[in-house]
Amino acid sequence: MDWFWPEGFYAVLMLAAFAVGVFKLKLPVAIAMCGSAVIGALSAGFGLHPARLVGQLVEGMFGYIDTILIIATAMIFMNVVQSIGLMESVAAWIIRRFRKSPFMLSCGVMFLIMLPGMLTGSSTACCLTTGALVAPVLIKLGVPGKKTAAFIAMGAVLGMIAPPINIPVMIIGGGIDMPYVGFTLPLLIATVPLALLVIALLALPSLKKKGAVDEAELETELKRMESVPLTARLFLPFVVLIVLMVGEQTLGMPLQFLVSSASAFLTGRRWNVLESATNAVKDAIPVLGILMGVGMFVQIMTLSGVRGFIVVSALAIPSWLLYLSIATTIPAFGAISSFGAASVLGVPFILALLSRDQIITASGLALIAGLGDLVPPTALAGIFAAQVAGEKNYFAVLRHCAVPSIAIAVWGIALIALANPLSSILR
Amino acid sequence: MGVMTLIYRGILALVIFLVVRCCFREKDFWKQTTAAVVVIPMLLRLFMIK
Repeated sequence: MDWFWPEGFYAVLMLAAFAVGVFKLKLPVAIAMCGSAVIGALSAGFGLHPARLVGQLVEGMFGYIDTILIIATAMIFMNVVQSIGLMESVAAWIIRRFRKSPFMLSCGVMFLIMLPGMLTGSSTACCLTTGALVAPVLIKLGVPGKKTAAFIAMGAVLGMIAPPINIPVMIIGGGIDMPYVGFTLPLLIATVPLALLVIALLALPSLKKKGAVDEAELETELKRMESVPLTARLFLPFVVLIVLMVGEQTLGMPLQFLVSSASAFLTGRRWNVLESATNAVKDAIPVLGILMGVGMFVQIMTLSGVRGFIVVSALAIPSWLLYLSIATTIPAFGAISSFGAASVLGVPFILALLSRDQIITASGLALIAGLGDLVPPTALAGIFAAQVAGEKNYFAVLRHCAVPSIAIAVWGIALIALANPLSSILR
Repeated sequence: MGVMTLIYRGILALVIFLVVRCCFREKDFWKQTTAAVVVIPMLLRLFMIK
């Protein structure tokens, strides 16, 4: 028991406190995480100086302040492009253009779902913006509600992992001083094949069925979505964003998102700035809160030695067990937060895999960390996808996510195992 | 103080304003608390306390 005491005990205590907070007391995840961090600190003897304890908690929150600024401004951007009618117009165009080709249609819809996650690094953004947009259409096209929700949830998870923005990779990279450069191709390899698999499993079979669609109802919905004509000018916010991201990297992402949002004044439907921005931030607050909670949780884990205990344990795992540990513990930690899993477990695992190509290994680890957004009680992607598809029981939605989730874990492990050969092919 | 620092403090002020607005619009106590937790580090950064 020497190896376990006392850090292992603190870890169990913190996790138990978190579970009680979420399941028994029904607290929001962020608050439960904050409470479990305080309990962890008190049990480790850091409660004697309350001011110092508060200082440590605030220090932890600062670890994610740049990330929350990116997510908040990216959510504002996504809300704005939705307010001007761009997303509805594009969705209607995709459905009309590819109505006769279920494969192309589902690819187009999948890309739409993934897009907000690709830009914000958050699965919640996918569910609440384009996910909410395509959910009624998919249901009208004959995809059952639970499968629609599962399709959105899986698209959201893959969207948060797909480039250009991948926060788990940024967190893992931050832990080993690796810059966020050269990840585009590995992250595309990590996500595109899985997106095709999700399409084949969840959307294609229903879309191929003839006669399941109420054409009149679908036409009414499409007419509503097309209220803003799809012109080249409507894409202005995206064009500005791409130009700024590619050309002017000194601005930083929050400013890039806000400048791109401001360009939406020149096109599309009239929109209320204050309401759009407030709604965007309202949707983002649960995620921002979780990040603050994760920051405090990880800070206290570090302070009490729990993080070191996890790192040493990860490094001591025999190589044959390492892959199994990665495939199980990282998604399981996602019950707290996928970003937390990237920070607490992603960093030690990448240190244990230093002989592999670090870019591809980090991409594989981030892919597996993304699965955390499907693990209850947090299950951000599952809960929000169920909500936008009108499904009350998100566990029923998660059942449809089981096979694609196993595929994600297997693909992530394959990327890690084949990191070196893959790296030599990509170079 | 550089222009970029000022711009970033402006962005922080904007996000803080929006979070506080959401906080006052929200009826649920715990959701208000979550919003308050989010605001703390942003306020400290805005006023350059930390």
